[in-house]
Amino acid sequence: MQSEFLSRLMPRPSLDAARVSRERPARTAPDEWGQLMAAAQDGHGGAYRRLLAEMSAWLTRYFTRRLPAGEVDDAVQETLMAVHRRRHTYDPRFPFGPWLAAIAKNKWVDQLRSLARHPDGELSDDVAVGDHEASVVSTSVLATLLEALRPAQAQAILLVKVQGYSVEEASSRIGLSPSAVKMNIHRGLTRLTALIEKTPDVE
Amino acid sequence: MSNDALIAELSSGLAPVRRRSVAREGALLLALCGMELSLFLAMGAMRPDMNHAADSPYLMWRVGSLACLAVTACAVAIHSFSPAARTRPGLTLAGTLAAAAIVAGVFVAPSGTAHRALLDRLDPASGIVCATSIVVLSLPVMALLGALMRRAAPTEPRLSALAAGLAAGTCGAFVFAFCCPFNDPLYAVVWYSIGCGAVTAAARWCLPRRFRL
Repeated sequence: MQSEFLSRLMPRPSLDAARVSRERPARTAPDEWGQLMAAAQDGHGGAYRRLLAEMSAWLTRYFTRRLPAGEVDDAVQETLMAVHRRRHTYDPRFPFGPWLAAIAKNKWVDQLRSLARHPDGELSDDVAVGDHEASVVSTSVLATLLEALRPAQAQAILLVKVQGYSVEEASSRIGLSPSAVKMNIHRGLTRLTALIEKTPDVE
Repeated sequence: MSNDALIAELSSGLAPVRRRSVAREGALLLALCGMELSLFLAMGAMRPDMNHAADSPYLMWRVGSLACLAVTACAVAIHSFSPAARTRPGLTLAGTLAAAAIVAGVFVAPSGTAHRALLDRLDPASGIVCATSIVVLSLPVMALLGALMRRAAPTEPRLSALAAGLAAGTCGAFVFAFCCPFNDPLYAVVWYSIGCGAVTAAARWCLPRRFRL
């Protein structure tokens, strides 16, 4: 029943989207990004600018499949800043992809935690309820993960955090009180972050 | 701020950085432990019968297993400070080593200890002093590992903190093993575990606080 509900709200991504979801930084630019980062560590600003621009595009795709649309830009910028602060920890002898993917995953979890702390937080204007295509793409990985939650938690997260309904609207659709909806969002997102942290490679 | 503006800001006036080196961090940790042990022994804290006890199986077991555990835990902790590192397998290895060391302790007990009463063997008054000494001796190592952790990029900070606590606790216990006059393995297992456990719990609670990549 939960899968039915999820597929009604967010149909499975198309083949193209699935192909994109398997994309990783190591496959797109295995050594080049590592070389650019090594140059950036030596103070080469041009190489760093190019690396950040390419990473930004990859991160946007990464977070688009994992977070509600309104959270993607924040997550991308948080990750870019984390990469900047921790750039000295990259070892050029190893591939750059896993290094970046680990930081991106950490920021994904941070962003979900921040959503859990504000279950009724206002969403930005770019989360359009009617933008069905965006919501399909935006949550392809999230949809799979939500299946691990209790149905009431998954429904509350989908309606409020993904579809952009208010807590009151979601409560009348689900048939629960607004405080129960908030609690389900908080507990669901907390469980989701724990699940992601325990899973070594979420795709 | 747009992504482009952020990228322009981050890449303008970029300064070179000194790359993190696992070997340098390991050497720092080794130097600190060595210095602590030297200072401790120079203060005259070494057990008085060390000349006779040095080749006894119970002292060799205690010092050897603690050295092995300390090296493993320090390696796991330093390795875990890399973003792509997996900490759980290392912690499992350290736990297995600790269990093996405890089991090995059964075979090195000095003769006559098995007949003594349990409370007599544990000697809680001295045990509390031993556990407290281990906690105090582990503080410098914990501080160093905490600083290294904050400067690095652990993506599993709670597990890294656990590994750092275990490393600090076993280093403290290793230094203390040279002065502890008790030979009973049961005493060592109970009170050293309590000391190491307290340090690990404190590190797990303190080190990840306010940590953000």
